[in-house]
Amino acid sequence: MSAIIVAKKDFRDAVRSRVLLALTGLFALFSVGGAFLASRLSALFEEGGAESTLDLILALQTPASFLVPIIALFVGYGAIAGERESGSLAFLLGLPHRRRDVVLGKVLGRTGVVAVSILVGFTVGLLGLVAFVGSVSLVDYVAFTLITVLFGFVYVCLGVGLSAMTRSTTRAAVGAVGLVVVFWFAWSVLAQALLFAIEGELLPETIPGWFIAMNAVPPDAAYGSAIAAVLGAGQFTASSAYETQGLIDGGVPIVAKPWFGFVLLALWALVPLAIGLWRFDRVDL
Amino acid sequence: MPSIDISDVTKRYGTDTALEGLDLTVERGEIYGFLGPNGAGKSTTINLVLDFIRPTSGEVRVFDLDAQANALAIRKRTGILPEGVEPYDRLTGRQHVSFAIESKGADDDPDDLIERVGLSADAADKKAGGYSKGMTQRLMLATALVGEPDLLILDEPSTGLDPNGARRMREIIREENDRGATVFFSSHVLGQVEAVCDRIGILRDGHLIAEDTIDGLRDTMPDQTRLRVTLDRVPDDSTAALEAVESIDGVSSVTPEGRTLVVACADRAKTTVLHTIEDYDVTVEDFTTDESSLEDLFVAYTSDATPAEVAR
Repeated sequence: MSAIIVAKKDFRDAVRSRVLLALTGLFALFSVGGAFLASRLSALFEEGGAESTLDLILALQTPASFLVPIIALFVGYGAIAGERESGSLAFLLGLPHRRRDVVLGKVLGRTGVVAVSILVGFTVGLLGLVAFVGSVSLVDYVAFTLITVLFGFVYVCLGVGLSAMTRSTTRAAVGAVGLVVVFWFAWSVLAQALLFAIEGELLPETIPGWFIAMNAVPPDAAYGSAIAAVLGAGQFTASSAYETQGLIDGGVPIVAKPWFGFVLLALWALVPLAIGLWRFDRVDL
Repeated sequence: MPSIDISDVTKRYGTDTALEGLDLTVERGEIYGFLGPNGAGKSTTINLVLDFIRPTSGEVRVFDLDAQANALAIRKRTGILPEGVEPYDRLTGRQHVSFAIESKGADDDPDDLIERVGLSADAADKKAGGYSKGMTQRLMLATALVGEPDLLILDEPSTGLDPNGARRMREIIREENDRGATVFFSSHVLGQVEAVCDRIGILRDGHLIAEDTIDGLRDTMPDQTRLRVTLDRVPDDSTAALEAVESIDGVSSVTPEGRTLVVACADRAKTTVLHTIEDYDVTVEDFTTDESSLEDLFVAYTSDATPAEVAR
């Protein structure tokens, strides 16, 4: 109950941020851009018509997978550290809230903020799709939106978890940027380097299962897997390109299966959150 | 049953010791003034009571409950005005008070509390990000009063308040105390504490160096006098002269101010002080004495003089 009270207040406070407004606007712009691109491409390929899942994913997954992490990390990184720095945490914890209620309330409140941002962006994107493409499967759209909110929740947990581990917003911000660098670049570079070190060539004839598994692990890949699991569009998982050509040594590893995307998303949300909670509960404020 | 019971508490940050073997008891229903210069460890003590930080050793109990294990139960019955607290910039004053009421499960009317601390209804509707320090203090006091707490903990409550605000603060402290609340508040200014407190404790360098009623503290130095002696010139051997005066029985501190010497001493030592100075080939042009005020006592306690010297 206490966490809900904190979440409500936190939502009211954080949703008024101007930077959030700007990021949401940017997101809406990208969604419309994606919708436009989707209409061009589907006209080009003439496949599946306007209601194809491809349109939806082209239109919305691409902007979402880049902007949702940025929005969620921006909204999350200052959640605890910022209050420690400014001194408002003393007000919050002076009231009868446990430290874990504060962290959980922050996660809920800020997920709400990110959800609003996603809904605004996707609603604009949906209007774009209807305008450019004609019509869209509403079921797919809702499912897609829900998974994207889950994706936002994962990055809010990462951000708030980081924020709970440090007393400095600068350090939390560096951590957040670090996460983006790791997930977007370093991870795949490392996987490629390992592949080269083990197989001796950059593009071996058959791809080992561990490489596929490793590339499926980051939250962004897990988001793709989860979408594939729900929309039944297997071509958007990290392994799909290799899988369709039968290049994977020993079949698709379990980690790269679409449904496992949900397991990975859960892990990416709960592990950093648990570490943040553990640390914040013991620290001198 | 004491409201706050701190026994043998030590708090270290790395190699820095903030508190050393602190024993402090605040009895139920009293107003306890916690005095000390900035950096003495007052906020550390309060943060321990609030479970914002944890002791390196020793025990902190509030309402006879362990401060760490029962933090939630304690905070339900406690109103807190933390030092240096900042409001949420984007929420209004009234939203802060409503949030405190909701958090405590109380049924106060936010407007009553806002009016009581002297915050205008207009100001309460504005975002707290634009509040002055004094308005923030009033707002935070309003949130501390939510739910008629059994214990009020106020850390430097007069910070940023104008004289009217400080008076209102004292009135509220008395009203809350009359209602039955225990009040524990810290300050580095004696004047604020003197007017309302039943008892005061003086903290210095992490040690409680005095704890008594105001009258009791006055009694510890009943014949203390401050002597200002103006000489015709600074003695040739000024160091030796200072040491000679300092070593007189009954003298607790000597401060040279140019040709003037300020000596805190017992009444009986006055003539000895004057004679001793004249032994250094100087003429006393003028001297004045005044009774020690509580302020002097506080300064004596918290400046470089050791408690033993002060009590002498």
